[in-house]
Amino acid sequence: MAIFILRRIAQGLLVILGVSLVVFVATRLIGDPVKVMLPLSATDTQRAAFEHQLGLDLSLPRQLVDYVGSLIRFDFGDSLWQRRPAMEVVFERLPNTLLLITCSLGCAIMLALPLGAIAALRPGGIADRVTVFGGLFGLSLPQFWLGLLLILVFAVIFKVLPTSGGGSLAHYVLPAVTLGIPSLARLMMLARSSMIDELNQQYIRTARAKGLDFRQVMIGHALRNILSAFITLAGWEFISGLAGYTVVVETVFAWPGLGLTALQAIQRSDLFLLQAIVFTVAVLIVAINVGLDVAQKLIDPRINLA
Amino acid sequence: MTSLASPAGAVRKPWPFAALLAELWNDKAAVAGLSVIVLLLLAALLAPWIAPYDPAAQSIASRLTPPAWLPRGNLEHLLGTDQLGRDVLSRVLYGSRASLLVGVSVVTLAGSFGVVLGLLAGFNGGRVEAMIMRLVDVQVAFPGLLLILLVISVVGPGMGTLIVVLACTNWMIYARMVRAIVLGVRQSPYVEAAEMIGCTAGRVIFRHVLPNLTSPLITLGILEFTNIMLAEAAMSFLGLGIQPPATSWGLDVANGRDYVFVAWWLVTFPGLAIAATVLAINLFANWLRVTTDPQEREKRFARAMAAERRRRRRSR
Amino acid sequence: MDSIRVFWTAAVVSAALCAGCVGTSWASELTIAIGSEPSTLDSQLREDGGERAVSDNIYETLMARTADGALVPGLAAEAPSQQAPTIWRFKLRGGVKFQNDEDFNADSVVASVQRIIDPAFKSEQASYFSTIVKAEKVDNLTVDIVTSGPDPLLPSRMYWMKMVPAKYSSDPAFAAAPSGTGPYKLEAWNRGQNIILKKNPNYWGDKPAIDQVTYSFIAEPGTRLSSLVAGEVDLITNLLPEFVTAVPAYAAVPGLETSVIVLGADNPVTGDARVRMALNLAIDRKALSENLFGGFAKPAQGQLVNPKAFGFNSALSPYPYDPDRARALIKEAGAEGKTVTLVGEAGRWLKDRETIEAVAAYWQAIGINVDTKFFEFGEYLTQLFDKEHRPGAVFVQNSDELLDADRPMTSAYESGASYASNSDADMAAKVKAARMTTDVKERAAIYAEITKHAYDEAYLVPLLNLEDVYGFSKRLEWKPRPDAKLLVKEMSLVE
Repeated sequence: MAIFILRRIAQGLLVILGVSLVVFVATRLIGDPVKVMLPLSATDTQRAAFEHQLGLDLSLPRQLVDYVGSLIRFDFGDSLWQRRPAMEVVFERLPNTLLLITCSLGCAIMLALPLGAIAALRPGGIADRVTVFGGLFGLSLPQFWLGLLLILVFAVIFKVLPTSGGGSLAHYVLPAVTLGIPSLARLMMLARSSMIDELNQQYIRTARAKGLDFRQVMIGHALRNILSAFITLAGWEFISGLAGYTVVVETVFAWPGLGLTALQAIQRSDLFLLQAIVFTVAVLIVAINVGLDVAQKLIDPRINLA
Repeated sequence: MTSLASPAGAVRKPWPFAALLAELWNDKAAVAGLSVIVLLLLAALLAPWIAPYDPAAQSIASRLTPPAWLPRGNLEHLLGTDQLGRDVLSRVLYGSRASLLVGVSVVTLAGSFGVVLGLLAGFNGGRVEAMIMRLVDVQVAFPGLLLILLVISVVGPGMGTLIVVLACTNWMIYARMVRAIVLGVRQSPYVEAAEMIGCTAGRVIFRHVLPNLTSPLITLGILEFTNIMLAEAAMSFLGLGIQPPATSWGLDVANGRDYVFVAWWLVTFPGLAIAATVLAINLFANWLRVTTDPQEREKRFARAMAAERRRRRRSR
Repeated sequence: MDSIRVFWTAAVVSAALCAGCVGTSWASELTIAIGSEPSTLDSQLREDGGERAVSDNIYETLMARTADGALVPGLAAEAPSQQAPTIWRFKLRGGVKFQNDEDFNADSVVASVQRIIDPAFKSEQASYFSTIVKAEKVDNLTVDIVTSGPDPLLPSRMYWMKMVPAKYSSDPAFAAAPSGTGPYKLEAWNRGQNIILKKNPNYWGDKPAIDQVTYSFIAEPGTRLSSLVAGEVDLITNLLPEFVTAVPAYAAVPGLETSVIVLGADNPVTGDARVRMALNLAIDRKALSENLFGGFAKPAQGQLVNPKAFGFNSALSPYPYDPDRARALIKEAGAEGKTVTLVGEAGRWLKDRETIEAVAAYWQAIGINVDTKFFEFGEYLTQLFDKEHRPGAVFVQNSDELLDADRPMTSAYESGASYASNSDADMAAKVKAARMTTDVKERAAIYAEITKHAYDEAYLVPLLNLEDVYGFSKRLEWKPRPDAKLLVKEMSLVE
């Protein structure tokens, strides 16, 4: 187990190294932030002077050395756009994204298991067909479009929910629903199919034949066995949300999360903030991945993780 | 087993599609899906002939005309016009091309790359396999979309960039699947036997491995195609995908979103087009997956039998 | 059966969660939606419209502008006087205090000036003040500002420079907890959500009517509009002209922005003055303003200078729409079917893409082949400022914050300074001369000469003077300002 964890961590470091390299190269190529920052009527001389003030005219090797230093210290300097430490911005926005993902994924998980179970009770029945169709439908909706429609219906026509922004619990509803629907669809389909497989297993039939209460059978046996696959998918959903898939939802709902901040940093060529965001996210993803592997191993020791 | 199956197959040979079609007919949702897909392909191919207008032709005087069935609408623009007076129907028809082109190119590129690496890993084993699979693991753990956004804004957005970037970030799933299947096939007795009597690797690949790969690869490719389509739409929506004057459904939704209160048709029709296409493909792929997977077929058969039995019991 | 119970339990729990979410309270204060969140409230640091919208109410400047755009004393007690060609003397208003109880006096002015021009401070606004050498205290309420050469613009520049307290401004906390002399002070800043300002009880001027104002940040115009329609906010900026009928109320005012296309006077096709003139005559500016902008824009009068700005040449009128003559000129120049590259960007300015595409269509119609290229903003700026390869035509929207011809002149007319695309050394010399001429009449005469010359040479394709359109809630009363400042002290609510 210890060797296994160590290997996973080593692999994670490899990921972080790769990401750091890509980010360094990309942010050097992304273009000159000074042009975006100064008014259009500033003269070339004024632009050059400002570039010098920001230290962007240093040689590339020198910048690389600085960059490695900031990786080690976990301090990427001041954001050009926000004019305060980049990590401060990251730690301010990260919780918003994490909360949004948790909220939407939490609801999706709560709904996916019971819905999948109901569908699995009678494969091919009406409930099953509705579930499958609903799942495929959920997977087919472009999120940016769904988000716009939800705003139109619930915020503008019925005025029951706020259109955008963060703050109260009500602000969570529309973004969380928009973000959660594809996750719900995938999790529900998985719950359904693995539950069908499990219910066909010999041991369930035996348990039923023994006269065990049906609910106990379902929950006691089947659920535990599909849990491993379910957690893997849920973890994957969480990671992909963190890896930037919230950006569309955050854009539509003006959600003050990390994805929107990253997009704004790209638009402003804010290389220091970008470095901080991508690096933090990479570290988090690696940590979650290792955690998931360990959790899986604990739940189901049969799994071969080599 | 194989020797028994092949004569049976030979007898059925004259009508291989008839059986398949009959089976498809049973699943009405899949039939609907397939019809939409065919219509979409036709629309994309025939767009220059069936589209009433040039999708880029603007007429500022007739901007924001509502669809024909609404009070201010007229039959000249069935689905109305956009903020520059461009015909929405024509744009939706042409927009299908971007979705299809990006989808097909990315799936082909990523698929070929992934399949080749998967085959390499599965066959060579040892160092090569370890390296390839490590590469897969590392790339899977990358903060995908963040890097995609970053790279696209560095290279400059456009259809070419989008295709290359999406292909570079979506090949891993093919490699993983192909490697798993290759390992599985190679351990099966008949391939071991074939290798023992001295079949070349090439022969093994083409005779034994590829046939086993075809149907899961087709299913995976189709499902990935929908993901790529949605990704293209999302990137275009964010302004990092297809660039004007080219058209794309995602781009049109992005352009129309500012007008959603005075001209709901601008976002509705391209958005519906995306949703309907993806849903159609998903319905068809769902049927295909079950049909081409022997295990799933077995289950479906068992389910049908059980349902039949229940019905009989009830009617009794 | 049991699984259904499981499902309902889950459903009830989620429903309860959702029910808890609804039920926000709407207080009666004013709410304004702005496009982007300020990254700092240190008003001397950044060049950012979102930040200005908020800090214009917290801070004040030595000079101010009336509702018509006329320059008047603000924190200065009277209009500045020139002691020497390079020295402007400002008398200050007495008895004014900053919100942190520091006195406003000559020391604060000296500190504010020295702070913003200090290279180590890295102010993005420094280019507005590049002529200032230093500020000197004369007595407690008198300051001299020294410029490198004669600078007729200095009073206008001081309308742009916000006054900060001498001591507290060097505190690192200043950026998040600002202190100015203005009518409002910061109450709370919930990052990512909103900024709340409260009335400053010690304000030296007239007491404002509104007690509290909340700023929310919504980048998407569609979402911003829906928040107004949904009754969440009272005021939104940059309302699309199409929506004036969709909102409870609206107001428009001629704004600071002018759209223009800079033609490459040294490029192959656009190097011919006849072609440049034809490209101007090809465009129906009236149709553009009426159809695309719903009438909330006026055809630009043959120049980039804002009609409200100093140096505006009222003798010029818009280039007429004459496609026949344009076609004839193109034929005469032998430019039929030749390609002009039109460089633009999309999403930065109101209807930029639509305007560019419409212009391209007009140009196509007179026989020019237009290659329209949209770039992402950063890449667009690279092209805009590229001195080696000037694009044949490039779209820009110029904002004339100082309401003076100097900055648009420097940007688009003066060869080599910023994004001008000509090598007219004579004209560049005149722009430089005007910058140093403190005699008002003489300076106006030079600008008249330059704008006339550029009009005849057709170096630019001035398109439209844009209006700022604001969406209001029913209860808001306010007359928008030509300088686009959102001064809450001028607003009131009717319940």
